[in-house]
Amino acid sequence: MRAFNPISVAVLLGLCVGWSVVAAASDTSGTMRVGDMQYGNGLDPRGWTPLVDPDADGMSWLHAGTLRTPSGALYPYPNAPLGDKPLAPGSDWTYWGLLQLGYIHLNGDRNAEFFRQYTDWKNGAALGLLAVGLNNTKTGSYVEFRGSRISSDDQYYRLRAGRYGSYRVEAFYRDIPHTVSTAAYPLWNGVGGTNLTLPAGLTPGDSTVAAVQQASRDAARREIKLTRTRTGLSVEGGLYRNWVGFASITNEERNGDRLWGGPMFFNFAFPSTGSPYGGNGGVLETVRPIDFTTTDVNLGLRNVGKLWHFNALYTGSFFRDHKDYLNYQNPFLVSPVVGVPAAGLVTNGQFSLEPDNDYHNLRLELSRELTWRGELSLAAAYGTMRQDDDLLPPVNCTGTLGFSAGPLQQLIPCADWNTSAALSKTSANARIDTHLLDAKVSFHPTNAFAWHADLRYYQEDNKTRYLSYNPITGQYGYISENGSQGTVVPGEVGIFDNGYYNTSNVQIASIPFGYQDTLFELGTDWNPSRSNTLGLTYTYDHDQPKHRERSRLDEQRIKLTWSNRAVGRATLRASFEYGDRDGGKYNYDPYLAYYSASLPGYVPADGIAPTAFTVDAMRKYDMSDRKEAKAKLIVLYPLGETSTLTSTFYGTRDHYDAPVGRQNTSTTGFTASWDWQPGPQTTGSAYIGVESTHLKLANVADNEALVDEPGGENADLGGPFYPLENYWHDLDNERDYNAGITFAHDFGRVRLDLGWNYTQSLSKMNYDYASPGALTHPEAATPDGVGAFPNNHYRSSTFNAGLTFPVVRNVSVRLFGSYQSGSFLDWHYLGFDDTLVYDHRIYTDEGPQLHYSVTTLGVMLNVKL
Amino acid sequence: MRALPLSFAVALSLLLAMGGLLLASRSAQAQQPSSPPASGSAGLTQSDIARMLPATDMGADAARNADPHLRPVNDSPATPFDAASIPANPLAPEAQAVGAKTCIACHALENVQASHTLHVASFRVGTARTGPQAACEACHGPGSEHAKNPTARGSIIGFTHGADTAPETQTTVCLGCHAGGARQHWLGSVHQERGLSCSDCHNPMARMSPEGVLAKPSINEVCATCHQDILAKFNRRSHMPLPEGQMACTDCHNPHGTLTRPLLKTDTVNETCYTCHAEKRGPFLFEHAPVRENCLNCHDPHGSNQQTLLVAPLPMLCQQCHTMTRHPNDLQVPTNLGTGPTPDERLMGRSCLTCHANVHGSNNPSGSRFHK
Repeated sequence: MRAFNPISVAVLLGLCVGWSVVAAASDTSGTMRVGDMQYGNGLDPRGWTPLVDPDADGMSWLHAGTLRTPSGALYPYPNAPLGDKPLAPGSDWTYWGLLQLGYIHLNGDRNAEFFRQYTDWKNGAALGLLAVGLNNTKTGSYVEFRGSRISSDDQYYRLRAGRYGSYRVEAFYRDIPHTVSTAAYPLWNGVGGTNLTLPAGLTPGDSTVAAVQQASRDAARREIKLTRTRTGLSVEGGLYRNWVGFASITNEERNGDRLWGGPMFFNFAFPSTGSPYGGNGGVLETVRPIDFTTTDVNLGLRNVGKLWHFNALYTGSFFRDHKDYLNYQNPFLVSPVVGVPAAGLVTNGQFSLEPDNDYHNLRLELSRELTWRGELSLAAAYGTMRQDDDLLPPVNCTGTLGFSAGPLQQLIPCADWNTSAALSKTSANARIDTHLLDAKVSFHPTNAFAWHADLRYYQEDNKTRYLSYNPITGQYGYISENGSQGTVVPGEVGIFDNGYYNTSNVQIASIPFGYQDTLFELGTDWNPSRSNTLGLTYTYDHDQPKHRERSRLDEQRIKLTWSNRAVGRATLRASFEYGDRDGGKYNYDPYLAYYSASLPGYVPADGIAPTAFTVDAMRKYDMSDRKEAKAKLIVLYPLGETSTLTSTFYGTRDHYDAPVGRQNTSTTGFTASWDWQPGPQTTGSAYIGVESTHLKLANVADNEALVDEPGGENADLGGPFYPLENYWHDLDNERDYNAGITFAHDFGRVRLDLGWNYTQSLSKMNYDYASPGALTHPEAATPDGVGAFPNNHYRSSTFNAGLTFPVVRNVSVRLFGSYQSGSFLDWHYLGFDDTLVYDHRIYTDEGPQLHYSVTTLGVMLNVKL
Repeated sequence: MRALPLSFAVALSLLLAMGGLLLASRSAQAQQPSSPPASGSAGLTQSDIARMLPATDMGADAARNADPHLRPVNDSPATPFDAASIPANPLAPEAQAVGAKTCIACHALENVQASHTLHVASFRVGTARTGPQAACEACHGPGSEHAKNPTARGSIIGFTHGADTAPETQTTVCLGCHAGGARQHWLGSVHQERGLSCSDCHNPMARMSPEGVLAKPSINEVCATCHQDILAKFNRRSHMPLPEGQMACTDCHNPHGTLTRPLLKTDTVNETCYTCHAEKRGPFLFEHAPVRENCLNCHDPHGSNQQTLLVAPLPMLCQQCHTMTRHPNDLQVPTNLGTGPTPDERLMGRSCLTCHANVHGSNNPSGSRFHK
């Protein structure tokens, strides 16, 4: 078990000790803070199941069965009393408790990625649940503890104590596992750290493909995973009269690794010509370390009066990344395309990992009751995200990269770029401020009529400014892809100057994206009868993005709702929503000011205007005109007195006015479930669900022969650079099927529970194209210009069974087992089971297992304390 | 397994629904009594019942008014919990409080079950100094009319299916104690507008959940009562750990109402995501516009058939926006897969992300294209 963060503990102990508690009405604030609302695990997702034991007496002597929620769902039978016992003779304290302890055994493909994605299954002893409660019925004081442990990376413990209506203190510790891959074969040494080095047998920047393939084959299989270790402490209680406050601090240590990248320029464009050193470039799937600490502080103060409600919330979040960079070695020979040797080997690459950051947000909310059962609600929030990490130098190479060939003097002296003196500033000084204002008024002048209006303003102000300028060389820009691009292609180092690179059009500054959004909503509800409610809401959303393709986006939405309780005993909730978005002029290249073409001294190559940034018909889907329709119907239908049928029908249609880009999406689905509880001894349920989604996009391949040639500046769709012959579509179709059954029955001497859960997802990617010009390799074209990828699928089926029977008083045994099987196909990973090295590409993750089955068997001893 | 066509599945669902309706109607007919039910126990009149009920037991006002730290009250005949008063029942305006003892005389088992909940435990503590009070009536309203005629509809504030009490009345009762804080924005929230009552999600009459007096054993099961389609998405290939019990819907959403339509706890989608994914918060030297704008541009937090919750397969996800000159805008086809004759890194494995790994933003001075 990991140690608590000492600073966090100290701060929270201080909070606890300093909390002055007086008896007053209080209420918890859990649903105001993000996270840590649920404590469970793969063994018991509820974190409570061993205590779910329906009481044979039921809920009432006055009627059979249980009642239903207002919408018609059956309440479960209440659980048998936990059996409060006096802590000591004459004590006001009583206690209850349950200990569930046992052994788990796994058979089969226990390392399958989808089996252990978020559960760290292990063979061995496990703590199913330890739950203990103490209550003082006279003072209202209580203590509750819950804990469970599958492994040292998958466990939780939470303690709550307090006094009803007065205060509450909570502390928790939990480890949450996340397995990303169980079939990773990283060939580098140092995985988990910041320096990935090549194994013996490989020479940085000068290895043969065969040697790399051998190293990949020799690499050991390992898991790529991380663990989130969270600790927290919170206190909440009445301060004075109607004032209630809370304070909480949580600390998360996130440790492990994840799959990452490593670019050394394209390989697809330079296929091997038979050289043992292969083609050119390098594409490396590496592994990065995860070593994060995040400390969150939440403070709240509220006053709830008869007329006024006041709420103040402060959130502070402090993220620290203990690994600032990832260095990796490149095994492949990167060489100039002009046929001369490179000035030096490209051996090293580098990533900046996420910077430390601080976040503060203060929100004030005020509500006042008004006449006509009305309410005025005002809210204002200010937030700021900041980081000022030291910047890494533009490259980490040594020596000289690039090449020299006649007039092409493209040498990259690393010493001019591998130092922080090569930066325009040495730290990021990045900052984004946010502002929120919200005003809402609502009235219910009669029982049949209500209306509300809401005005919301939100602004995100990006104050980050960075100029890519090297004071040492007087050049703008950067060294692209660790110097590899400049080593391969003439004119593509990534830098601009008034000399050799004066025709280079590269990004020379950061772009401070931001936006301000104003939203107005007017809505009304009308009850034409006691069982019917109709609603109509109009929303106008005015968005002003900064430095984007549009400076204005306007969306109008109409939403109609209908709630009905008059069709038999059913409750129906239906809604239909239509939205229409448009905006100002679409500028397909709004970034010119951040590129060197805007600098004095820029000279178009051969007098030709810069190559078009993109096609003019492109419409990014967050910026394009869009028409959207959504519909949903939820029906809860009580079937007799012992069961409920629930069904949902839903659909969404989006149409984007985009000749190039996302064109439309649609979703259609339904679910149906049946819950049955004929008595406290028996429960059952069945569930099915189907969903179908479609996404269509269009794109156009440029005519690369015209790059830096006349015509290359033409951005017109249908022009010489983006000809209609190169136009193509992708259509992604997905179908999801879900089903599940549960059944539980108490036979008296033994309780049986069964469950089955099934998921199947099928994905199909179709495409069509106007001519082979749309493809990188025209020889792959088919006469009809259409095709499809192999179908992807994901299937998972889990069958659970359990038997629980008493042994002696207060002691029972639970035998349980589950059989999980699944299959998977994702064409991204096709061929990876044969090799992970393709020319100058190295892949690390073989991908999830194509087929797996795992049997889990366990025995648990339940002891009521 | 061969996939079922959608049309077949829809037809099956409709058949099931129709069958259920038929069954329900038969069941309802079977349960109809042959004659109108007698009010109260057979052979007893309402006055008999009223006479047999125990005497009321009031006096909490006196204790409260004796506490110098509390505001004096005289707005109800009993205050079972410090801040609670007995709500008026619009459907029985003349009703008077009768006290918990009276209620328990009939609702004995309800009392036993409710005693295990935080809710009633709180009431008990609030009245510990003055004896058992009108705990039941603090929620259900004054009970005299109900005690006189238990079957009279609307004589008590009901929180269950078929009760005559309007959902607004029900929620007003709960908000009598639970206003403000996490429920500051209940009014105008989507759940309020759709006529939900607190007791659609909560059942303070029995302890069915570890906390929150929920109507089902866990938060996620409660939400799935209506949002089955959303819960089903968590079964997909990539999902957040809800099925594994590590998260709840309420980790991100506050069902009681917030400043956002999807009931997010923070000001924006991204701020909610940053709470757990703080490394994505930055700000970075080089930002990726759609990432900073809204995580949902690329991710579906409820589940996806693609890796890492992506809304479309790579590289198509990126190609929806990136038509820029040269390598982004080529059509990828199966011959570019790892099993094809012309493997292409733009399609294989992590696709675009193999090179543009810092796609959420780069803090590297050479990272404007998220390579570094």
